[in-house]
Amino acid sequence: MKKIVSFILVACLSLSLAACSSDSNDTANKPVKIAFYTYNYMAQQKDGVDKLIADFKKDNPDIDVEVVYVTSEEINTKIQADIAAGVEPDVIQVVFDALDFAQNNYGVQDLNELVDKTELEEHLKGFEPAALNVAKIDGKMLGLPYTFSTPVLFYNATLLEEAGLDPDTPPTTWEEVEKYALQIKEQTSNDGFLFGGYLLSDCFLQALIKSNGGSIMSSDRTTIQYGEQPAIEALSMLKNMVTNGAQPKITDSMQGVEAFSGGKLGMMLYTSALQASMIKAADEGGWELRTAKMPAFGDKPAVPVNTGSGLFICTKDKAKQEAAWKFIKYVTSDEGYTVITSMMGYPPLRPAIIEDERYLKKWAEENPLAGPNLEQLKIVTPWQSYPGNNWYQIEQLLMDASVKAVFTDADVAQTMQDAQNQAQSLMPKK
Amino acid sequence: MISSIKQIPKHALLILLCAFAIFPLYWMVISSLKPLGEIFTPSMFPSAPTLENYTYAVNNVPIFRLTLNTLIIASVQTVAQLVSAVMAAYALTRWEFKGRGLIFTIFSLTWLVPMQAIMIPNYITITSLGLRNTMLGVILPFTASTFAILSLYSALKSFPKALIEAAVMDKLSEFSILTRIVLPNIKPAMVSLGILLFIHGWNEYLWAMLVNTRIDQAPIQIGLQQFLSLERNEWGALMAAATLSSIPIIALYLALQKMIINSFVKWGIK
Repeated sequence: MKKIVSFILVACLSLSLAACSSDSNDTANKPVKIAFYTYNYMAQQKDGVDKLIADFKKDNPDIDVEVVYVTSEEINTKIQADIAAGVEPDVIQVVFDALDFAQNNYGVQDLNELVDKTELEEHLKGFEPAALNVAKIDGKMLGLPYTFSTPVLFYNATLLEEAGLDPDTPPTTWEEVEKYALQIKEQTSNDGFLFGGYLLSDCFLQALIKSNGGSIMSSDRTTIQYGEQPAIEALSMLKNMVTNGAQPKITDSMQGVEAFSGGKLGMMLYTSALQASMIKAADEGGWELRTAKMPAFGDKPAVPVNTGSGLFICTKDKAKQEAAWKFIKYVTSDEGYTVITSMMGYPPLRPAIIEDERYLKKWAEENPLAGPNLEQLKIVTPWQSYPGNNWYQIEQLLMDASVKAVFTDADVAQTMQDAQNQAQSLMPKK
Repeated sequence: MISSIKQIPKHALLILLCAFAIFPLYWMVISSLKPLGEIFTPSMFPSAPTLENYTYAVNNVPIFRLTLNTLIIASVQTVAQLVSAVMAAYALTRWEFKGRGLIFTIFSLTWLVPMQAIMIPNYITITSLGLRNTMLGVILPFTASTFAILSLYSALKSFPKALIEAAVMDKLSEFSILTRIVLPNIKPAMVSLGILLFIHGWNEYLWAMLVNTRIDQAPIQIGLQQFLSLERNEWGALMAAATLSSIPIIALYLALQKMIINSFVKWGIK
C-alpha cells in the first residue's frame, strides 16, 4: 500500500514539474486565445465560420479563436451570464436591436479609441458607406457590421404568370403589391402576398414605417413615435390587405416561408438571408423564384432597414484587444466577405469585390437574384436600437401592437397610440 | 354478440385517439424522408423518399455522440435525484426533530421558484467551480429535485410504521431499514418517479445551453437547435436528427411501457 501511495506522489510531482517547465518554455510564444460568441454557427453556416477562422489562423498562427456557439435568441442571456460569472467574452456578435444595451452593459468599446485611427480608416474604406452607420450610436463606431441583410420582395414568377401578370415587372409600390396579390388570389386561388416581418423582430416594421415618411423613435432617441400618423397609415394599408384577402391571416413568418417554399404564396417580403434555401425550394418544387426591391409608398422612396448583426470587442486585456481587432478586421475584409457571401448567404458589404475576379465576380454572375439586395445596401438605413434596459419590451410592444392592429378588429390608431404610450413609459428617464 | 357490438364505438374512439397520438411521430419520420421541395406539402407519403436529410444531419451534427451525452446526463441526474430524495424524505418521515416542519416548508417553497430566476446565480457557482463546458456542470444543480422529495415524502408518510418498528426491534441499522425494508416496498413508486425524472432530464435545454458551448459535451437538444434559426429552419435535417435521437427513448418506452403509463397516472402528467 505504502508503495502505491509513494508511486502516486512521485507521479504527481513529476507531472507538475513537467507542467511548470513546459509553461516557462511556452510563455514567450504562447498563442493569444480569444473567445468568439456567435450565433451564425448552425449546421448550414458552420462551414463558413470554420473557414473564416482557419484562413485567419494561416496568417495569424499566434492567435487561437475559440467559437462559443449560442442561438440568436439566447446570445444576450449567455453574454450577460458570462460577464456576471467573470468570464469576459472577447469578440461578440450582437443583433443590432441590442446595440445600445451592448454599449452600456457588455463593455463594448468605441473602435476609434481602441484601434489606430489610420488603420481603422483604411479598413473602412472598402465598406458600403451606408452599411457603416448601422454599428454607430451617437457618432461612436462600436463595432463592424458582419452578417446582415435587407428586406427583399421574393416572388413566384410561375404563379404571377399563371395569374396573367408579367413577372418581368414586379410590383414597386404597395398599391401594386395589393393589386398583384388580389389577382393571384383570384386567378390561381393561392395566397397573394405576405409581409414577413410581424414577429421576427421590429426591423421590417421600422422599414415599413420609415418608408411612409415616419419613424419609430425621435432622432435624439428620447421619444417613441410608432403611434404617429405615418405608422398608423402603413399598418392600415397592411390591415386593408388582410381584410380584402390580398394577404392571408399569417402572423408567423416561418409559416409564410413554408407556404412560399411550397409554391402556395405569390409574393413575400422577407430577409434576403433566406435566398439560398428559397432557390433550393423553387428548384425542387419546379417553379421560378425571382426577387425585387422593397415596395414604396407611392412616390416616397422605400427605406430598407438592415436586419442582422455586427462584431464587437469587449475584452479589456491589451493583447486580446489587439488579437480581437485583427480577427474582426480579417472577417470583414475582402477575403472574409467572399466567404460570408458565398458560404453563409449574407451580402458582401464591400461592393468592389463583386466586380473582382479574385473574389465574388463569378458568384455574382451565378446569383443574379442577389441584385436587388445589393442595390438596397447602398441606401440601407440603420435598424434603430431602443435605449435602456427595457429595449426588448419596447420592441416587443411594437410587434404585438402591429399584429393586433392588422389582424384583429381593433382600431389601428388607438392600438398604435396605446403601444406608443406604454413604450414611452418604459424609456429611460432623464 | 351484443356486448361486442357495444364495444365498437369504444374501440373506434381509442383507435382515433391512438392515431392522433402517433401522427406527430409519423409526420416526423415521413418529413425526414421528403426532399426540400416536398417538405412543405401535406402529402402523407414522400413521393421520392430520400436519405439526403439523414446524411446532412449526421455530417453536420454529431448526433450519436450527443444522444449518448443526453443519455448519460439524464441517467446520472435521475439516479442522483432519487438517492437525494429518498434520503430527505426518509429523514423527514422517520424522525421527529426540531425544524422538521420548517425544512419541509422550505423544500416546498423552492418548488415555486422558477429555474430562470436561479439560473444566473447557479451559473456563477458552476463557473467558479470550473465546471463550465462539462457534463458535470449540467448535472450538478439538478442532483436534488423538490418534486422527487415531495413525491416520496407522501409515499413514505403512508408507509406502515409497525414494519419499521419491527425492524428496529430486530436491531437492524437505519441504513438496513431503508434499503431492506422501505425501498423494496416502495419500488413501484420509485420506478415511476424515476421515469418522470428521466424524461424531464432528457428534455432539459436552457440550462444545458448556458453551461455548454462545446458541442461534444452538449446534450442532443443543443444539436437539434443547430438546424433552427430565427430566419430559417432546416426542417428535413431537423426531422432526421429528431428521428435518430428519439430511437433510444422510444425503445425505452416500448420496454417500460406499462410502468410509464402507471407513472403518468400516479403522479399526474407533468
